[in-house]
Amino acid sequence: MKGLRNSTLSGLLIAAFAAMAAPQVMAGVTDRDIENDAKTTGDVLSWGMGTEGQRYSPLDKVNLNNVKNLVPAWSFSFGGEKQRGQESQPLVVNGKMFVTGSYSRLFALDAKTGAKLWQYEHRLPDGIMPCCDVVNRGAAVYDNLVIFSTLDAQLVALDQNTGKVVWKEKIDDYQAGYSNTAAPIIAKGLILTGVSGGEFGIVGRVEARDAKTGKLVWVRPTVEGHMGYKFDAAGNKTEIGVSGTTNATWQGDLWKTGGAATWLGGSYDPKTGLAYFGTGNPAPWNSHLRPGDNLYSCSTVAIDVATGQIKWHFQGTPNDGWDYDGVNEFVTFDMNGKRMGGKADRNGFFYVLDANTGKFERGFPFVKKITWAKGLDAAGKPIYDPANRPGDPSKGADGKKGEVVFSAPSFLGGKNQMPMAYSPDTGLFYVPANEWGMEIWNEPITYKKGAAYLGAGFTIKTIDDKYIGALRAVDPKTGKIVWEVTNNAPLWGGVLTTKGGLVFWGTPEGYLKAADAKTGKEVWSFQTGTGVVAPPITWEQDGEQYIGVAAGWGGAVPLWGGDVAKKVNYLNQGGSMWVFKLHK
Amino acid sequence: MKRWIAACGLAWLFTGAAAAADADPLNSVRWPDLQREYLADAPVSFDSRIEVLAPKVAEDSMNVPVTIRVKGLPDVKRVLVVVDFNPIVKVLDFHPLMAQPGLSFRIKLQQASPVRALVQTGDGRWLAGGAWVDAAGGGCTAPSTGRGAPDWAQKLNQVQGRVWKDGQNQRLRLRIMHPMDTGLAPGIPAFFIEQLAVVDDKGAPMLQLETFEPLSENPVFSFDLPDLGQDALRVVGRDNNGNRIDAKVLP
Repeated sequence: MKGLRNSTLSGLLIAAFAAMAAPQVMAGVTDRDIENDAKTTGDVLSWGMGTEGQRYSPLDKVNLNNVKNLVPAWSFSFGGEKQRGQESQPLVVNGKMFVTGSYSRLFALDAKTGAKLWQYEHRLPDGIMPCCDVVNRGAAVYDNLVIFSTLDAQLVALDQNTGKVVWKEKIDDYQAGYSNTAAPIIAKGLILTGVSGGEFGIVGRVEARDAKTGKLVWVRPTVEGHMGYKFDAAGNKTEIGVSGTTNATWQGDLWKTGGAATWLGGSYDPKTGLAYFGTGNPAPWNSHLRPGDNLYSCSTVAIDVATGQIKWHFQGTPNDGWDYDGVNEFVTFDMNGKRMGGKADRNGFFYVLDANTGKFERGFPFVKKITWAKGLDAAGKPIYDPANRPGDPSKGADGKKGEVVFSAPSFLGGKNQMPMAYSPDTGLFYVPANEWGMEIWNEPITYKKGAAYLGAGFTIKTIDDKYIGALRAVDPKTGKIVWEVTNNAPLWGGVLTTKGGLVFWGTPEGYLKAADAKTGKEVWSFQTGTGVVAPPITWEQDGEQYIGVAAGWGGAVPLWGGDVAKKVNYLNQGGSMWVFKLHK
Repeated sequence: MKRWIAACGLAWLFTGAAAAADADPLNSVRWPDLQREYLADAPVSFDSRIEVLAPKVAEDSMNVPVTIRVKGLPDVKRVLVVVDFNPIVKVLDFHPLMAQPGLSFRIKLQQASPVRALVQTGDGRWLAGGAWVDAAGGGCTAPSTGRGAPDWAQKLNQVQGRVWKDGQNQRLRLRIMHPMDTGLAPGIPAFFIEQLAVVDDKGAPMLQLETFEPLSENPVFSFDLPDLGQDALRVVGRDNNGNRIDAKVLP
């Protein structure tokens, strides 16, 4: 093509195709629908089955008495050769199910029959850098759109009826280590997303976009020192203040690559107007390089959706040295007449906070072994055990490796990405927990764009030969573990609870299980043929209650060896959607 | 009695069909299907004013050059290009607006097939021209070379363009970097440009087209437009993943 010249590529599109856009047929999903999602049984409109994230359904057609009659209604294969971890929570809108698959795929199915309506496969570049498998955790719906994020850090909005792209926006540069796996959430017409890439020295942030157009509205960084912005309709940005106070809890320049990735997304409570985003580990892992609390890493950050300002934060692990990434979901609920929030942190402690102010109410371990802290003080701060922090490599014999320590929980956490559930009937949280530890040591490290930024070595260890996983019913009023069901392999799927007195959860061994929400007695199970690492949902259609879960073994667990591998290395991959109902 | 009604019905159908359209001069068994599927069985006149220029034998089934030439036919609103025996029949759907109704481009060819231009004029009538192209085959079910190139994502939707002017008109030639995967090669989902337009400096479209999987990888186009004295032509569009095309082509 000699003689042709390159021309410049700039930003925008198009009035030219406005006439070609598909006409809107059905009434779209509204803010009101989403705010009522937890109460309406005919649909599932948000990750968490309600943006508060309780994963509780008022349906009781399937209950303790008849759950033994639960049988498969249909199963759908995600197809292809891309059988990797399936961590997606499906959504159900107007009889259509939207479920995402590994490798940034999205499937639209008839929710009653499982017949495929359409599928969208996002073309991924070769250089994507997801840390922990090529998963996706689900979509958001708004108006006539279904919106999901991709492994190359883009946000794609598809027409619910046709699967055609309506808008697409780039969140960030995948070559710098950004990716995206979380389900977006909708709050007041805005679509809220975080970023993944905490292992690559990226900077965490929360972004709000107009859900109908994808245009940015505000952005709030989750590392102290970085500027927040708001955007007008033309896309011009204005400063809305730095997050925190520059260098208050970070020294030197390290905050510039400070991590605190918001990789699990967030929850939103219409009663407080706040979005709650958990933040990941500070970068690098080697904590001796970054003295200070390193805000807002390993925290829950409450952001006023109307302004994009941080209203409060609560940090579980200041100056984290163990990868006790605090992204875990903050689930709001009513307790003693107050709006509270619960969080089962990766660091092994369960925190109960005031949802309006972030004030610490109570904290207690939900795992049996915690070595890194001796407990929590009156404000909820950890009382560190200095002997159990990995040693400073610059003080080691050769300056290359710090002292090795054993720590529990392991870096994969007392709880990881798998969301818990809360039942207002029992007043209990159902927490998919894991008991494990690690040997961990620090090494010197410098930042390089797009390269892993850890400065640590580690190997994961079991603590008890009999089990790693344990589904635990936790009382937020007393801090007591009311019951538990242990599991040989680590639990990696989420939990659903219902007014029918049931708790549903999946296991890597392939079972979807149900137990009595009050006692933990197992009352039903079904073998899906591959590991379950996704949260179940339930909805009602034409008078029948359906239970659904995505199946397909994968996620972070199989990527790490150690002596955990022998509990999971025989498990087979898959990729399918299973749906159950009572037989007649 | 029943048989008589059936025979009558058939006779009526045949006369109806004969009155509605010319016989297919390319004698393709697919033509009745295409006429039904894309034109809702509207009558079509095969017209020598519409020429499809293509090689008799495709040298490279992944890159078959095609030129549509429309001479002396006024008021063309739409040019729909179809390939009878491709697994994906539609190639492009061109709305010339201010441009000449003729254009050039390259296609993938799965097997020997007619390549047709179905042309609709402002009065709603359909006219057609076409040509047979022989081919060794396989053009639509092979992976794009871009699929195997590690840097395709960096080049995606980059536009190379050139403009030639003669005082009244301008010819625009474009190449857009895109794998144009058909979705028919195993394990490789469809990934192709689906909308393209040339707009003036105020953003008003001068021509627009919908494009489909059978266009060649890194597709090339030639269009003839009036020269309205703009500094630059702007090319906008997007693919089926929503990736945007937006480029200015300077004279």
